[in-house]
Amino acid sequence: MENLPTHVADRLQALTFGDRAVAYLYVDHALVLIDAGGQLGPYELGALRHGEPAVEQVAFLEGMLPLVESPYLLPSIEVAKGRVADLHFWSDEGGVWVVLLEVTTERDATRRLQQKAYDMTLLQEKEAAFNRRLEAANAALLATQRELEASRDALLLAHEELRAQSDELARWNKTLEERVAAQVGELERVNRLKRFLAPSIADLIVSSGDESILKRHRRDIAALFCDLRGFTAFSESAEPEEVSELLHDYHAALVPLIQSFEGTLDRFVGDGLMVFFNDPLPCPNPAERAVRLAVAMRDAVAALATAWRQRGHNIGFGVGVAQGFATLGEIGFEGRFDYSAVGTVVNTAARLSDAASNSQILVTSRVASAVGDLAELSNIGTLEIKGLSRPLTVSNVVALKFEEHQVIFLNRQTR
Amino acid sequence: MTAAIQKKICMLGGFSVGKTSLVKRYVESVFSEAYLTTVGVKIDKKSVTLGDRVVNLILWDLAGEDDMSSLRMSYLRGSAGYVLVADGTRPATLEMALSLRRRVEAEHGPLPFALLINKNDLREQWAISDGDLEELRRNGCWVRSSSARTGEGVEDAFMDLATRIVR
Repeated sequence: MENLPTHVADRLQALTFGDRAVAYLYVDHALVLIDAGGQLGPYELGALRHGEPAVEQVAFLEGMLPLVESPYLLPSIEVAKGRVADLHFWSDEGGVWVVLLEVTTERDATRRLQQKAYDMTLLQEKEAAFNRRLEAANAALLATQRELEASRDALLLAHEELRAQSDELARWNKTLEERVAAQVGELERVNRLKRFLAPSIADLIVSSGDESILKRHRRDIAALFCDLRGFTAFSESAEPEEVSELLHDYHAALVPLIQSFEGTLDRFVGDGLMVFFNDPLPCPNPAERAVRLAVAMRDAVAALATAWRQRGHNIGFGVGVAQGFATLGEIGFEGRFDYSAVGTVVNTAARLSDAASNSQILVTSRVASAVGDLAELSNIGTLEIKGLSRPLTVSNVVALKFEEHQVIFLNRQTR
Repeated sequence: MTAAIQKKICMLGGFSVGKTSLVKRYVESVFSEAYLTTVGVKIDKKSVTLGDRVVNLILWDLAGEDDMSSLRMSYLRGSAGYVLVADGTRPATLEMALSLRRRVEAEHGPLPFALLINKNDLREQWAISDGDLEELRRNGCWVRSSSARTGEGVEDAFMDLATRIVR
């Protein structure tokens, strides 16, 4: 302010400092406050005690004294609430001067700008953090979507596999049903055939699939008829249950024999049975087989007759065997077919059976000549047979000649 | 009772980490949701009793560090210790706090300090893991989580630092 008139200097000072609070402190080398002045009140320094330690009275001096650098500036210090000052330090021989030059207005202006800048920066940081979280969530979402797609693909694959398995199962079921139907049909045919054929032969025909053999045809067969002597009298006097039991024992003894000799069982009629050989499957020496069966039957019924006699029933057994051509095949109507033989040979065998007395096996001359080497025969003579123009020469089979033949057939029976 | 002593402690850290709020919580036991940036320095005083000694802590709350303005090391002259503050939700502020520590030590040598990871009340938003804090502890840092909003860890941090300064 040198060389300036006082009123100019005062004006300049007013323009420079305006309403700023300006104060000063003077602290000696012993850190004792020796002077203070200016506008100390706004800085809450109005009660300073001269002659006492300065640092204890002025907080911002803590650590600043002794001054290691002069001059020294601490800008923008909020010394008291709402009062900001630049602190100017410098030293002289007597101590350290401190001038407080208020900059509250400047600080507030700076703070407003800085506040906006920081608010903006914080907003950007939050936005960036939000974006990072959003990206992470998006990535997680994409990963989940990929997993879902993979799961869906796996599910579709499993569904396809399941459907394929289901289709295959349906095919299996259809095949199974067809096989069951075929087997049921086969069983029905077998059961039908078993009614008159040995089970093994019935199985053979069914398994061959060729049932044309059962069509009507002519063939040379050996026919066997047998029945019980005295049965009519017995059935008239006995209880029906007793008759039924006797017939059951009788059939149970004979039917297995017929099957073991592979004879074709034509019919049961009460105590009468008709069997023939060489049809529907051909066999060598049908007459021989028929005679062997007749002998076996006679032996079996003889064993039963012993028991029957013990119960007071005098029942015998007679057989007739003849050989010749007959017409054979299924006879009957839908749902009720029988395989049967029709012809003179059948009648002849039946008549011989009727003519036979107990234990007799009456055979025609043709049968007798066929089994001459096998069986011991006795000539009965001639018999008038109803339906035949000429009398027949008839023989009775007394026994089989060779025991081993019987053994062979016995073994076949138990097979 | 021994005569009172005074110790200068500076609050350092990035902007908006909660330095002013921590001082306000410690000195006045209050918290304000409003954020008001600090320009220059704000000085506060807190008296504590350590054993039979009253210690007046002169707390220099320094303006936050940012990309544009750098810490005036002149403010730290005569400081007996300092508090480094970071914001748990902003990992960059921890890097800044550790950088400030290196600069202070380069200028003023090793001083007692406490590192506060602030805003523990927003723990679910934290981006600093417990593993990071454990790593700092293993490296010799006195580090705690704190919350100026709830007061968690604030008193302990200043008392512990004051004790180490006076020791």
